[in-house]
Amino acid sequence: MGHELIKARLNLCAVLKNLEDLVQYDPEMAALSKQWNISIQFSILLGPKAFIEFQNGKCRVGQGKLPKPTIILFFFSPAHLNRMMDGRGFPIPLKGFTKIPFLNGDFQKLTKKLEYYLKPTDELLKDTTYCELNTRFTLNTAAHAIPEIGSLDRVGIHAVSHIQNGDILMKILPDGPAVTLRVRNGNITPVSGETERPMACLYMKNMQVANAFLNAKLDAFTAIASGDVMIKGQTPMLDSMGLVLDRIPLYLG
Amino acid sequence: MKTYQFTKSQELFKRAAKVIPCGIYGHFSPAPLVPATSYPFYTARSAGARFWDVDGNEFIDYMCAYGPMILGYNHPLVDQAAAKQIQSSNCTTGAPSVMVELAEFMVDLIPAADWVFFAKNGADVTNYSTMIARDATGRKKIVMIKGGYHGASSWMQAPGHHGTIEEDAENIIRIPWNDVPAFEKAIENNPNDIAGFIATPYHVPVFADNEMPDEGYWKKIEALCRKHGIVLIVDDIRHGFRMDIGGSCEYFGFTPDLICFCKALANGYPISALMGSQALKDVTARVFYTGSYWFQAEPMAAALETLKELKRIDGPKKILATGKKLLDGLVKVAKTYGYDLKVTGAPSMPYLRITNDESLMLHQDWCAECTGRGAYFTSHHNWFVSTAHTDEDIQQTLEIADDAFQIIKQQYGDRF
Repeated sequence: MGHELIKARLNLCAVLKNLEDLVQYDPEMAALSKQWNISIQFSILLGPKAFIEFQNGKCRVGQGKLPKPTIILFFFSPAHLNRMMDGRGFPIPLKGFTKIPFLNGDFQKLTKKLEYYLKPTDELLKDTTYCELNTRFTLNTAAHAIPEIGSLDRVGIHAVSHIQNGDILMKILPDGPAVTLRVRNGNITPVSGETERPMACLYMKNMQVANAFLNAKLDAFTAIASGDVMIKGQTPMLDSMGLVLDRIPLYLG
Repeated sequence: MKTYQFTKSQELFKRAAKVIPCGIYGHFSPAPLVPATSYPFYTARSAGARFWDVDGNEFIDYMCAYGPMILGYNHPLVDQAAAKQIQSSNCTTGAPSVMVELAEFMVDLIPAADWVFFAKNGADVTNYSTMIARDATGRKKIVMIKGGYHGASSWMQAPGHHGTIEEDAENIIRIPWNDVPAFEKAIENNPNDIAGFIATPYHVPVFADNEMPDEGYWKKIEALCRKHGIVLIVDDIRHGFRMDIGGSCEYFGFTPDLICFCKALANGYPISALMGSQALKDVTARVFYTGSYWFQAEPMAAALETLKELKRIDGPKKILATGKKLLDGLVKVAKTYGYDLKVTGAPSMPYLRITNDESLMLHQDWCAECTGRGAYFTSHHNWFVSTAHTDEDIQQTLEIADDAFQIIKQQYGDRF
């Protein structure tokens, strides 16, 4: 599978997925998108399709095609989409020409804010709210990137093939965000929140530790030994998941 | 029962993490210990079947340094032999004479082997065994068991692990344990291209039940190797001298071409050995392989004394019996709390798992509670029993296990 295609799938399925939480947890973006009733279809020639839907103050990002999107953005190739995501290219609007001012205006404010949260600096991370949101988004990106890398990247496919069935819980303590990765016969589905009967758990001691750990600023072995990160259960599941997580920077780094 | 604190271990670890990658690396990494903070990281001293950590906590040791310790820590005969050798010579220009004495003793001790080659670590000799197999056959591929472990060289690691590349595994064929048809299929799919078959005497994966060979498994594997000119390699590094003094192949009744020994060979002194059949002696002679410290005399003297003592007391028989006594007791204690403690592998190096919880969390908590009371149990790896473990050690261990079961019963209630 080509690098650009995997990167495009990560952009569509893992990075843009954070828009759902952005309009929920950032008050400014919540206010901005409150009245939106609009949907955007991303369509790549011979490639993946995904959509973003705003309705009743909520955002939903999904894979596949919407029956009647308000806007259709077309891309000639995965690389074309990736250039847009990197701020170096523009999509081809196929539908919703009257909404171009929205795309260039309010929607761009939203994506710029997401970019702001996903590109932390040491200075920005000193702000507790920023740190919390960056951590939440990084956790979400990781959770949604795992199924993509696990099904498309050669090393990822091999690693995932060894993961037994069961739920993997990743949680930030004491009451921070959590995601569950549901593994069934080699397929991984990320689910927001906790699971009652995890097969393996990875707990991060607090938001600061989680931020450093998820952004690969903390060596996992040292963090586990010192108790900053706690693992339990079928830890080979976590080992394999770790190999997949370590592939993310190859595409989104 | 008093429970331990590990303050000094953690303090030392913090210092270590600044100057040593991940503080403690490799198989001694605390990462698989669950929870890691409930385990000691650093040893202050040891004696017999026990060690004391830097916090002053005392442990009955059921990991035995992950296998090297078999006669007990600081064994007087072994240490005296090593000290005596050091006084005369250790690492010098020229091979030590004790090397010949040790080689003769080992060739007499191991019925399947006619020669011995010494190195330092297990991976030295597993690596070398594959080189010899390739040179002897002129073939490339090595068949190994899925989940098998033969050291940390790149070809031995599962694909995808850091520091390895896809090509490392290009000539490795992984088949399931106890699956003779899979070996037959591998031979069929790679005609005249399989140089060697390498496996442990029985399967010892981590985080999973250990598996004995099925009836006739080794005989069938041996016959296939003979028929197709494949070198049969037994990795006896972990099992060696814990099942049979003549090597684990004697216990299971088959004859390999090459046998890899390490761990228990010298009761903690650094030495490994590759032993082989007469047919491979000249091939081995031409496959160049060496290391800076492979002619060090002290571990050779220690190995000689260790093997003499193991033979004298029939060490394998003793630790199989000690292990059985320990395991029977633990299973019985577990049962009184409604827990099914499943034991797999040989009693001298058993793997245990509480089956009531398939996630292993219950088992991990029990092992950690036992460790925090003085019986060092890991939850991910097989344990090791030594000839130094006494009935008193076992009795104390059972009391600790009982106390720990009470704690986890309180914690989990009737959930399991």
